[in-house]
Amino acid sequence: MSARGHVLEVLAGASAALGLERDYINDLNVYPVPDGDTGTNLFLTVQAIIDETEAAPVDDLPGLMAVVTRGSLMGARGNSGVILSQIVRGTCESIAAAQAFDAGAVTDALRAAADAAYRAVRQPVEGTMLSVIRAMAEAAADTPGTISLPALLTTVSTAGAEAVEHTIDQLEALRRAGVVDAGGYGLLVLLRGAVAGFLRAETGSVAAAAVTADGSDRRRGRASRHIAGIPPDALEDSKFRYCTSFLLLGDDVDRDDLEQFVNGQGDCALVVGGEGMLKVHVHTDHPGAVLSYASAHGTIDDIEVADMREQTRARRERLRLDQRVACVAVAAGEGNKTLFRELGCEAVIDGGQSMNPSTAELVAAVESLDAGEVVVLPNNGNVVLTAEQAATMCDRRVAVVASTSLPAGLAAMVAFDAAADAAANTAAMAEAMLRVRSAEITHAVRDSEIDGVAVRQGEVIGLVDGRLAASGDDLRLVFGDVVRALGAQGAELITILTALNGCGVTVADLQRTAAEACATACPTVEFLFQEGGQPLYPILMGAE
Amino acid sequence: MSGLTLDNTAIVVDSTCDPPPGYFDGPGLAMVPLKVHFGDETYRDGIDLSPPEFFAKLAASPMLPTTSQPTVGEFTAVYARLSREYEHVFAFHLSHRMSGTYQASVTAAQPYGGIEVCDTGTVSGTITLLVDRLRSRLAAGISLDDLHTYVEHFMAENHMLFQVPTLEYLRRGGRIGRAQSMVGDVFGIRPIITVDDGELVAYAKVRGERRALETMAAFLSEHTAPDDAVKLVTWSSDADDKLPALEAALLAARPKAEVVLHGRVGAVVGTHGGPGMFAFAMIVE
Repeated sequence: MSARGHVLEVLAGASAALGLERDYINDLNVYPVPDGDTGTNLFLTVQAIIDETEAAPVDDLPGLMAVVTRGSLMGARGNSGVILSQIVRGTCESIAAAQAFDAGAVTDALRAAADAAYRAVRQPVEGTMLSVIRAMAEAAADTPGTISLPALLTTVSTAGAEAVEHTIDQLEALRRAGVVDAGGYGLLVLLRGAVAGFLRAETGSVAAAAVTADGSDRRRGRASRHIAGIPPDALEDSKFRYCTSFLLLGDDVDRDDLEQFVNGQGDCALVVGGEGMLKVHVHTDHPGAVLSYASAHGTIDDIEVADMREQTRARRERLRLDQRVACVAVAAGEGNKTLFRELGCEAVIDGGQSMNPSTAELVAAVESLDAGEVVVLPNNGNVVLTAEQAATMCDRRVAVVASTSLPAGLAAMVAFDAAADAAANTAAMAEAMLRVRSAEITHAVRDSEIDGVAVRQGEVIGLVDGRLAASGDDLRLVFGDVVRALGAQGAELITILTALNGCGVTVADLQRTAAEACATACPTVEFLFQEGGQPLYPILMGAE
Repeated sequence: MSGLTLDNTAIVVDSTCDPPPGYFDGPGLAMVPLKVHFGDETYRDGIDLSPPEFFAKLAASPMLPTTSQPTVGEFTAVYARLSREYEHVFAFHLSHRMSGTYQASVTAAQPYGGIEVCDTGTVSGTITLLVDRLRSRLAAGISLDDLHTYVEHFMAENHMLFQVPTLEYLRRGGRIGRAQSMVGDVFGIRPIITVDDGELVAYAKVRGERRALETMAAFLSEHTAPDDAVKLVTWSSDADDKLPALEAALLAARPKAEVVLHGRVGAVVGTHGGPGMFAFAMIVE
């Protein structure tokens, strides 16, 4: 493949990796300002390089490196984008001089990249992209001169990952927010994507894509500590309101004067570039003043002014939504479904015994909710597997609390606390569910033997935890036996979900039966009757 | 030894401390009423409307009453008199997060100097428990420093817990605080609520009367040791029949605890909590 093809593959790899991770990088972004746009800025900066390169009819390595440098400078967006442009510049100048792309050239390029990045920032802060690029450069320098290029790239990637993990300990703002540095992580993602692109260009294989597997791991499992939920709050707004950046073209610009002026207008000032084109970036309350000063010294172009306060607010809103927990339940019977809703369940899907919902229905229900984390209550043994299957297919974090009966699911739902996080909810709901013994009263569908007892078709049978506890012709008597059985097992509260249509028995009848059944053996048991409306089972019971 | 006694020290509260009937009638005590409004009719909490009268009216009223804080002038009248008659005046009010009463009291006290106005960060019977504990100390004589120390101790260490049959009144009155997301009134759930940092916070939602009482008693156990000198107050809004079982559960958990008072929810707290609420507050002396 040509040098041009290689460069384009490398850029495509970086862009693809950043595209996958950009939202996450945005969410990580708390420093220097929690404006939540680092991922977008890095992605668009790389995109600008690609556009510039694709438009330039250049095929030699030095020429390509000049185009890439220029593209990064012109397209640099935000603090991270401008620093990235200097990393790109250092890299490209070094490679252009080396006229080669091997382990030695890459080692030199990383050193040049780190130097250029540090030079761009007046007061370098550790725990940022700077620390990550330096760690990469040092790791490369420490390898033996005989190392192969792929081995070197792996070493650099590992060192970068470690440096990213370390940022949380280096910077107070990150430690307080409990995140790693967004720019540093973004740089690592970019490097891994670029490496994958390079290997693809070298080998024509897509196996190299494994290098970027980190992203999909995160969505599934959350392996490392920066992957835990990002708290939306506890972040200070920027001192200054507008993130201002632009290009300044002209040959007689005094760079030092410009830098001094910009520095006086706010913070996070960066003035980079050269040869008639400077990129200026500053966080300021007076973008107009900066622009008018600059326009007096040259031509300004690509002006971007972003309201960071608005961005911070939007980020907070997004993360809040992302950290919201909601529930999906599968239930049969209008009464039961209403009950789940009243208990705070946001989506209730029809289903239960002999009417199982599909995986697709569950996925759709989960994805219809404005919540980053969803707890699913299958409420039937036959639905648990479907729910677990659906959980792996959703675009968000899903936990299945494997309830196998409606009463167990309702007990779990009572334990749901919309103000708590998913982990706490899942634990509390599972615990509540396990405290419930479920019983059901129905009619035998055929003559058979259940747990050693012969039952006739149509006979009333009472099951406790799936085992036959009572049978007979009178629903009331069977119900009384089941109540006694539950009372004898130490129940304090028995919930009775009824669907008595066509049974010739009223709730009042059952209340009397229950009171009589417990009068002597278990007088302290409390009963709660609720119209459930489920099919097939005149009575479902939960004892806790 | 110069110190503070019942003779030289006055205590002022507002009517949201929900005391037993007549508790603040004696010398050195004053209770400034908040007001409750049923449409155009205005009643002074505990003066124009006794708790039983209020709950009867609430049950009969098609509309929910509203409440308002005392005026600065109403506090001024009390402070003018007490600052003449007593060397020390202390005022204890409900959390400023629930009412502007504390601010009105502070404003009224300013010209007099020496009146200490305190935001207790809590509400209802808990405040009467504080007054009761202070009065037992004043009866024995206490130094100003020791009194300050005790008030600080009380504010840091007191707890209260209450059950309501419905969250509707708290919601409609806008005093539900951080218990906003709590679900109640359905499926036999009994919302149990506590006060933290001056506002209401959901503590637990439990199903079944017995388990709700056990949960309240377990709260007492968690926050005390068996040999602690625990003082308790219990109170209810129109549900005194709930208190014997509550006290039995509390004393079963901590046999050495002592119920020193039985409060009674008045019209203002009753407007926001609704009928059927019952509560206890505790302090380890």
